Amino acid sequence: MSDAPKDLPEASERRLEEIEHGLFTSDLSVNEFLLVKEAGYHPLGLVMGSSIYHTGIQTRKWGESQELTKLTEAMYNARELAMTRMEEEASELGADGVVGVRLDVNYYEWGKDAAEFIAVGTAVKAEDGVSRRNALGKPFTSDLSGQDFWTLLRTGYLPQGLVMGTCVYHIAHRGLGQTLATTGQNVELPNFTQALYEARELAMTRMQDEASRLGAAGVVGARLEEKTHQWGSHTIEFLALGTAVTRTADEITLTPPVTIISLDH
Amino acid sequence: MSTTPPRPHPVPEGLPAAVRQALAVAEPRHGAHAGLTSDLTIDETLILHSIAWAPRDLVVGLSVQSVPSVIWSWGSGEIELASRAHARAFAHAVARLHAEAVAVGAHGVVGVHVERRILSSHIEVELVGTAVAPIDARPLPDAQVFVSDLPARDFALLFVAGWRPVALAVGASFTYAPRRAVGAALRQQTQNVELTNYTEALYSARATAMERMQRAALDAHGAGIVDVTVTEGPLHFAAHAIGFTAWGTVVTPTPNARSIDPITTVSLDDTVSAFDVASLA
Repeated sequence: MSDAPKDLPEASERRLEEIEHGLFTSDLSVNEFLLVKEAGYHPLGLVMGSSIYHTGIQTRKWGESQELTKLTEAMYNARELAMTRMEEEASELGADGVVGVRLDVNYYEWGKDAAEFIAVGTAVKAEDGVSRRNALGKPFTSDLSGQDFWTLLRTGYLPQGLVMGTCVYHIAHRGLGQTLATTGQNVELPNFTQALYEARELAMTRMQDEASRLGAAGVVGARLEEKTHQWGSHTIEFLALGTAVTRTADEITLTPPVTIISLDH
Repeated sequence: MSTTPPRPHPVPEGLPAAVRQALAVAEPRHGAHAGLTSDLTIDETLILHSIAWAPRDLVVGLSVQSVPSVIWSWGSGEIELASRAHARAFAHAVARLHAEAVAVGAHGVVGVHVERRILSSHIEVELVGTAVAPIDARPLPDAQVFVSDLPARDFALLFVAGWRPVALAVGASFTYAPRRAVGAALRQQTQNVELTNYTEALYSARATAMERMQRAALDAHGAGIVDVTVTEGPLHFAAHAIGFTAWGTVVTPTPNARSIDPITTVSLDDTVSAFDVASLA
């Protein structure tokens, strides 16, 4: 990887070496750990990627709804850096994939516009020795829990990658005239509605584009997060995240679920 | 325990018969540890009973290590004094917890809550857990008594699947995050750019801490570490010092390790969806 910190710490090498000798680490709970084993995978190690990133400045027009491409780019870049580094660690361990990926953004006191982007997950490898890497030959990534991972495999699907789309959007303020005209009335605010619509659509489309690049059959567990980070109330990041999946030749082995009524309240 | 039961608190005369009876039950008897404290819930106690284990006592381990408060502000590389103090605080707290568990004849400690306080002048680690043992079991050799932060429920599940906890593995590292030069900070003001100095500092703290945790797991002859808890980030009292800590329970398979064969269920309970008026604001 060209733009990674050049000299990875010595301990990092030692850590990966120890994992190669058979010790595994994982932030999976005991339930998830046993289910991943049950699904025919073995956890290899906790893998992480992080990047501390400074986002630039972009001017916004007070009365205009628009995408802030520079900020969108920053959010994309920083997440990609973190995700790619996590994937690199997983590759180095010879993993087939990474499950339970969490993507976080943390703000620290180091500077107003600096944030840490971090991706953490558990690298896993199939116990039957058949590679389960994705269409690009890389370990698959997925934010599914151990429980979801087990269920997904039982239904004959395999995760391909954690896909995301992001869009930082500035939503126009309403002019004084507009505000006065609608005071005391029940009325839709079309400029807000339209801006939010467009921003969401952009984020979702970008996520779907990533999924089709992986040749996925669909995206499961997709969700849309909206955050203003530190940009004030009218600038919002729309982040769409989900796990792209493909159909495999495996047969469906999920038995019909048992219905239960719990007696506790 | 001695053969003659100590009776430090004889049941006072003049109490109602029911109270005297209740107190008598709580009195230590020959060779048995009487009176039981545990922070397990009823469910957890019953789950333990289902695998023929029972709680023995609530056990505690605590250690406070002082650190010179000048070490946090300037320097480069790892803040070794802090890392060492953290490791010592954990090691001493675990040793005390372990000794208490051994004293009550337990085979292990489950559900250990880890409370940590990292301040500029000292590092404090407090561990509280429940000592457990198979019902009517004899004490184990000290070295085989395990300490684990897994809840009793997870311990029982591991036990059923044929795995066992071995120890609590901890790794920590504190590192200075180098400051950016004023010129660089100004130049980068309007740019999208990765701050490589911070990224590298965080990477180095993380790699060192994780390596230490893994080393501890290897020393305990474990097969792996589950349920790893990771905390990271700058310390609130020193913005240019980064701390990274990881801990988890070391586990190893027993000869009876087997698959758990889960069944899927759908709950027919109605999910409660409350309407929140505040969401309209």
